[in-house]
Amino acid sequence: MTAGLLSGPLLWLLLFFVVPVLFIAAYSVGAVGVFPTDTGPISFGDWTRFLHGGSVYMSLFWKSIRISLTVSAIVVLMAYPVAYFLALCVKKRKYVLLLLIIAPFLTSYILRVLAWKIILGDKGVINSFLVFAHLRAADHPVTWLLYSQFTVMLVLAYVWIPFVALPIFVSLDGMDKSLLEAGSDLGASRFRTFLRVTLPMSLPGVFAAFLFVFIPTIGEFVTPLLVGGTSGYMFGNAINDLFTRGLDWQTGSVLALFLLLVVAGLMLIFGRFVQVRTVAS
Amino acid sequence: MEIATSKGGLRLLRLFFAFLVVFLYLPIVLLAIFSFNDGDTSFPLAGFTTRWYERLLENPALLHSLQRSLIVAFISSSIAVALGVLASFVLVRRRFVGKSATSALFFSPLVVPYVVFGISLLVLLTAFDKVLISATGYTIGLGLHAVVIGHVVVSLPYAILTIMPLLERLSISLDEAAQDLGAGPSQRFRRVTLPLLMPALISSFLIAFTLSFDEYAIASFLAGNSTTWPVYLFGQLRVPSQLPEVVAVSSIILFASLLLVLTAEITRRVTARKYGEQFAGRGFV
Repeated sequence: MTAGLLSGPLLWLLLFFVVPVLFIAAYSVGAVGVFPTDTGPISFGDWTRFLHGGSVYMSLFWKSIRISLTVSAIVVLMAYPVAYFLALCVKKRKYVLLLLIIAPFLTSYILRVLAWKIILGDKGVINSFLVFAHLRAADHPVTWLLYSQFTVMLVLAYVWIPFVALPIFVSLDGMDKSLLEAGSDLGASRFRTFLRVTLPMSLPGVFAAFLFVFIPTIGEFVTPLLVGGTSGYMFGNAINDLFTRGLDWQTGSVLALFLLLVVAGLMLIFGRFVQVRTVAS
Repeated sequence: MEIATSKGGLRLLRLFFAFLVVFLYLPIVLLAIFSFNDGDTSFPLAGFTTRWYERLLENPALLHSLQRSLIVAFISSSIAVALGVLASFVLVRRRFVGKSATSALFFSPLVVPYVVFGISLLVLLTAFDKVLISATGYTIGLGLHAVVIGHVVVSLPYAILTIMPLLERLSISLDEAAQDLGAGPSQRFRRVTLPLLMPALISSFLIAFTLSFDEYAIASFLAGNSTTWPVYLFGQLRVPSQLPEVVAVSSIILFASLLLVLTAEITRRVTARKYGEQFAGRGFV
């Protein structure tokens, strides 16, 4: 009975999730081939080329790590006060206000990125406004607004803030409020109560928020493609290009699998601090 | 005394909240304004027009891609909800060897970057086709079916996360009462558990639907020539002359999805007020 019920979802995930991942693992070392040009039999050539000798992809990987870490930190720092405000300071309609923050996340991702392209472009909202207000000559737009690392980080932060507010809110809202009173009764200042009680209690939500922004942004290629230009090029773009333009699927598989291993490692280390449930309620 | 914050602190928090709301909505509102602008996407505004909206009705490629996305989203979220019910039922109501490993597997798509998963399926399907063509002369190829397969995988954990909490709160005694009245396992599931789960099923369907309808990364690898809406949209962004039209349809979709989310949430809250929180399920919030 249990096996019967389980077989549907289990088979789907095994066939279409586990098997594909194992397959690219085998493919990345040449144990299986897809194209006649693929290297085989088993060789770790692509792996060693990637891991050693300061390969382009490796430095790209570290750059992406830097960008993702910065974005995750900024996003958590921006969302925390809002979650705190909604969970602990607002009495009426806090769920409505929370929905107000979260709702943009449920609308189109590409469109929200597109909106920034329109705002930041050379002939975009900001630049055309500057010209309109005679603050800038028409042929000298502020060019660094678009196609830079800064833009990528700004837009990624914009896109992910609504998502992050939820797990932090859930952990703060679920907290026993009498603990705060206990803190103040025992003579602790507000700041001390926050540091010693509220902040530690909300850390699972903060960790969850951080990881669940970090993981998708480290593999991000859509936002860099739209607003990043060459300086905003990320690791995910390299993977995407190897599959759609360069057509070196084997190297692409190496990069993809490496990314997966890094994420899996992070989950093994930090996973126990994270309550998955706070993320998708 | 207010413990969470001082008066000044509260004022600051309120200000920051307002700032964030403006920051989140201003780009969306600008997008909507420019969709009625009789010119390109720059200041000063050139006048009011609805011609971008009229034009989009005459753009078959755009309408087709929307249609494809609706189909993919509908099928994949139906499958995800069905599989999600089964998985949640087993995880909540049954004990078996390897349960924690199974639940870890169910949630693992949450932590895999979409680009990695997308290319994995792409490589596997391509390799499978090579085998198939040499054996039978036929290929399956990429297309909407492949996108559906991928979208079910990534929405399944969300479906389970939405259904499981309600199932946990449903009293097992209702099930036992039905058993005493002579109902078999499958009849109990169909006539008792499933109807009680309905609110969670609806919200998990909506979550999976929004996820699939908006998903670009996986679809871009698997859609082949049947471009879905996000894939089409992405392609159009490189053609500046098409931009106003895209902006028009974008704002329709933005506001339609905002409306959908709000309706779903309000329905859920009304149900909660009427029948008690335990039957309302969990919504987006």
